[in-house]
Amino acid sequence: MDVLNVEYMLGLVPVLLRYLPLTLQLAGIGMLFALILACLFAVVRVLRIPVLNQLTIVFISFFRGTPLLVQLFLFYYGLPQLFSALTVIDGITATIMGLTMHFSAYMAESIRAAIVGVDRSQTEAALSIGMTNGQLMRRIVLPQATRVALPTLMNYFIDMIKATSLAFTLGVTELMGATQKEAAGSFLYFEAFIVAAIMYWIVVELLSKLQNYLETRLNKAYNR
Amino acid sequence: MKTLLINTVLVLSLFTSAPLLAQDKTLRVGMSGQYFPFTFVEQDELKGFEVDVMNALGKEMGRKIQYETANFSGLFGMLQSGRIDTVANQITITEERKKAYVFSDPYVYDGAQVVTREGNTEIRGVEDLKGKTVAVNLGSNFEALLKALPYADQITIKTYESNLERDTALGRVDAFVMDRVSASQIIREKPLPLELAGPTFSQITNAYPFHDTEAGRALRDEVNKALETLRDNGTLASISEKWFGTDITKP
Repeated sequence: MDVLNVEYMLGLVPVLLRYLPLTLQLAGIGMLFALILACLFAVVRVLRIPVLNQLTIVFISFFRGTPLLVQLFLFYYGLPQLFSALTVIDGITATIMGLTMHFSAYMAESIRAAIVGVDRSQTEAALSIGMTNGQLMRRIVLPQATRVALPTLMNYFIDMIKATSLAFTLGVTELMGATQKEAAGSFLYFEAFIVAAIMYWIVVELLSKLQNYLETRLNKAYNR
Repeated sequence: MKTLLINTVLVLSLFTSAPLLAQDKTLRVGMSGQYFPFTFVEQDELKGFEVDVMNALGKEMGRKIQYETANFSGLFGMLQSGRIDTVANQITITEERKKAYVFSDPYVYDGAQVVTREGNTEIRGVEDLKGKTVAVNLGSNFEALLKALPYADQITIKTYESNLERDTALGRVDAFVMDRVSASQIIREKPLPLELAGPTFSQITNAYPFHDTEAGRALRDEVNKALETLRDNGTLASISEKWFGTDITKP
């Protein structure tokens, strides 16, 4: 077995680090939009708003039912074929669009479940003492739903960070794309990809720490 | 919070902004960045035969070259959707591709080559591939070449996005087929136990594909003129010598 080329790996660290911010941006912005969209979907679903509810169901079904890579190809290569003006969608935008739609479909369901999971008797109690619907949501349902939804939402965020590695197929050189090209130049595949793997891992570990902190805070009321 | 807001606005504007129109003198060139020694990256720098030739062409034409790297399977999609003007990635001229694109004059002449793991005595050429598993790059022309063989139904073809050299060296496939030039280069420069198996079996010519539109054809003519100049003044030959130790730009 060849000896691991540690020198090459160390040399690669600063090079690959330049592409980490783009990876984080793709995921961060994707997560922001996905959260907004998912909350809207969840509300539409919980309140069963006519028409919107049906549309949301179809949307969620499609974006949960097809692979992310297929969606990215559809946005990036497919749409411009139908409407040539859509060539304005660059690789980064297409990636963010894909991540947003794909993950919002998943997240909508877990947010909806968290809202529905708050015991019905609490709603009744709140209404019986004269709270409005808005107060009920703000003071009673959402604080509890947030606590329930947080771990799954963090899971999706972590998944999204790793899903950005598909972006190189759309010409976006993020961490994975940069690694693939460097590996092609050196043929030191193990060295190159293990450096990338460790970088992803560290990022996800830091997020897990953040999750623990948030969970502890949200659980305060439940600990005695 | 402020930066978050700014980021949000930036992205919103990304969704709505007008296209960044390529400046008329800029030529947008797609390549994989994963095809040693034609196009690859070392310490964040895009290098290779394709890059050198394209830079020389750009200088000759007075055009700035803007490189776009993407996985090979994405390159033709980028060309088709008008995001790049051409592909510099050893694109072989084929009848099928000629239906969709117009090609420049060839600038590389080469042949298809079978490569096996070092010490493989069973496979000594393309005729020994019967009953074997053979790797080719996804979307490359070598798959079509293999399928055109009279005994094609006895060959198991595996397509790869990248790293097929490694899988051959590991023994996951019996052989791979690639152009002779880059295959010899890989064997010479990289620490993989591989060897050429027999002679080349099909002559291939590689060129730049352009959109089959008026603008595309005009670009092609411009590139052809520059190619001819570089051929006549020996630039093409010297770039080839630099990377391959031989002139692959002549038939």
